[in-house]
Amino acid sequence: MHEWTHSFKIDREKCSGNLACMRSCPTQAIRVRSGKAELIPELCIDCGSCLKVCPTGAISATTRSLKEVWKFKYKVAVPSPVLFGQFPANISPVHIVEGLKAMGFDAVWIIAEEIELVNRAIRDYMQTWKGRLPLVSSSCPVVVRLIQVAYPGGVEQLIHVEPPRELAGRELKRKYSKELGIPKEEIAAIYVTSCQAKSISIIEPAEGVKSDLDGAIGIADVYNGILTAAQSHKEISNHKALSRDLLRSANLFQWDMSEGQRRNLQGYNYMSLTGLRNIIRVFDDIEKGKLRNLDFLECYACWGGCINGNLTVDNLYITRSKLQRLMAELPETDPRLEEEVARRFAGKELYAKAPIRPRSIKGDMGDLKERIKRIKEAEAVLADLPGLNCGLCGAPNCKTQAKDIAAGDAQKSDCVFYSKDRLDRLREIYLKRKD
Amino acid sequence: MVEELLKKTFTIFSRNFDKAGENSTEIKALLKSLNFEPDIIRRLVVVAFEAEMNVVMYADGGQMDFVITDEDIRIDIRDQGPGIPDIQQAMQEGYSTATDEMREMGFGFGMGLPNIKKNSDFLNIESRVGKGTTVSAGIRLNANA
Repeated sequence: MHEWTHSFKIDREKCSGNLACMRSCPTQAIRVRSGKAELIPELCIDCGSCLKVCPTGAISATTRSLKEVWKFKYKVAVPSPVLFGQFPANISPVHIVEGLKAMGFDAVWIIAEEIELVNRAIRDYMQTWKGRLPLVSSSCPVVVRLIQVAYPGGVEQLIHVEPPRELAGRELKRKYSKELGIPKEEIAAIYVTSCQAKSISIIEPAEGVKSDLDGAIGIADVYNGILTAAQSHKEISNHKALSRDLLRSANLFQWDMSEGQRRNLQGYNYMSLTGLRNIIRVFDDIEKGKLRNLDFLECYACWGGCINGNLTVDNLYITRSKLQRLMAELPETDPRLEEEVARRFAGKELYAKAPIRPRSIKGDMGDLKERIKRIKEAEAVLADLPGLNCGLCGAPNCKTQAKDIAAGDAQKSDCVFYSKDRLDRLREIYLKRKD
Repeated sequence: MVEELLKKTFTIFSRNFDKAGENSTEIKALLKSLNFEPDIIRRLVVVAFEAEMNVVMYADGGQMDFVITDEDIRIDIRDQGPGIPDIQQAMQEGYSTATDEMREMGFGFGMGLPNIKKNSDFLNIESRVGKGTTVSAGIRLNANA
């Protein structure tokens, strides 16, 4: 079976066996069997719920360390537009870009052009799509993975257009390799990300191909560096005009916020969904056939959109108001930008490199009779369990535990109602930690 | 001999709109944990949901059996309802006897039975006016599934 790389590392030393992560996981991918959290890799969708609730900081995001980034000869930062909404008002976008350079990046790539390209490609895709509706935005890696794991029938409804960051990685390597006369392999395209899920989408793309980016670092990781650099860089005089040249279009900031595609897809039945639990509710309704006549679902696993990603520094509402202020100073479009977009659109490499397929999940094996036998077993076990979902067995609820037992991954004696040994063992693990 | 591998019976309550569809959700979870192909799951869930909604909307309650045999997966529904006087008419897209209240809730657009038909490999409806309706619809599994 495929080995999954995930966006989280659980530090066993720091893990206190507190069950918060297990209880918060929307796909039941965590177990705490013997006092330490463990991940079931094929069920994890990289959403970050566990990371947010861990009280001891034992769960950390997999991003590139800056040290690894510096090994490359030519390093290009590709900031998520969210980055520009993170700083105090006196630190302009130009300061931020200069700050990234001061930290050691050779260049900074703004994805304005790529966002226009992707907007166009999505419009095109909608117009020519003949399959089942609604189509679902694929820019949030968590949503893509959620569909792969929990709604496998929906994979074909994911919009098959690459996200702007990937297009940027490809284009910047082409450009700098030509301009500087160095091979593409010596150029690093590093995404400055608002969440860990985008980092994992670079290390392990859902389509099973190689990303055009070389890694990601969190906004939180560059925040202090930029702030420090900006303080010694205060003398940029015409930063308003410079910012306009740099950012080019207000659409740049639409992308990462909820309702980001609404203007682009005028005339379609559009629904904006943010927050993983809300997405799951609506997906369930769609699957039943309860929600019809929808053309497009914009889905962000983070409430409010990427501006609320877990590697951001400022809170969602402050970020949003800052970005809106920046947007107000930007033109909706810019003729030179349009020209470039038209040129690159003709190139047509905007579609995802390979189809996204459902993930195969362990425990699904065997022929129909075996599978039914296992289900019946799980049901019989469940009827015997107390139904309190206390989590002390190490599974998030009795239903999951029953499934684990039927699959041979757990025992009935893991339940404290059935085994005094389990209670003693828990006492040993948890009460000893107190002193 | 057709071997019945799994059978689950659900009770459907009449006019219970906020809980409507929960049986279909359970059936979906079951099919998913049995690792059926996504397309089979999707079609069956639509069949179950539409059949369930018909009972919720029109009948005084009923029962739904979810059955897996080594040949097919099917939904058998029995209700104690008004019955369908003209089945052929009810099969037409857009034909509906739903009340405004049902339509306001997003149901009753006359797509129920047509949707069941579209998503199933076989469909049998028997109805007696004043007594009730039984619907049996499902998907055939090929021999090597």
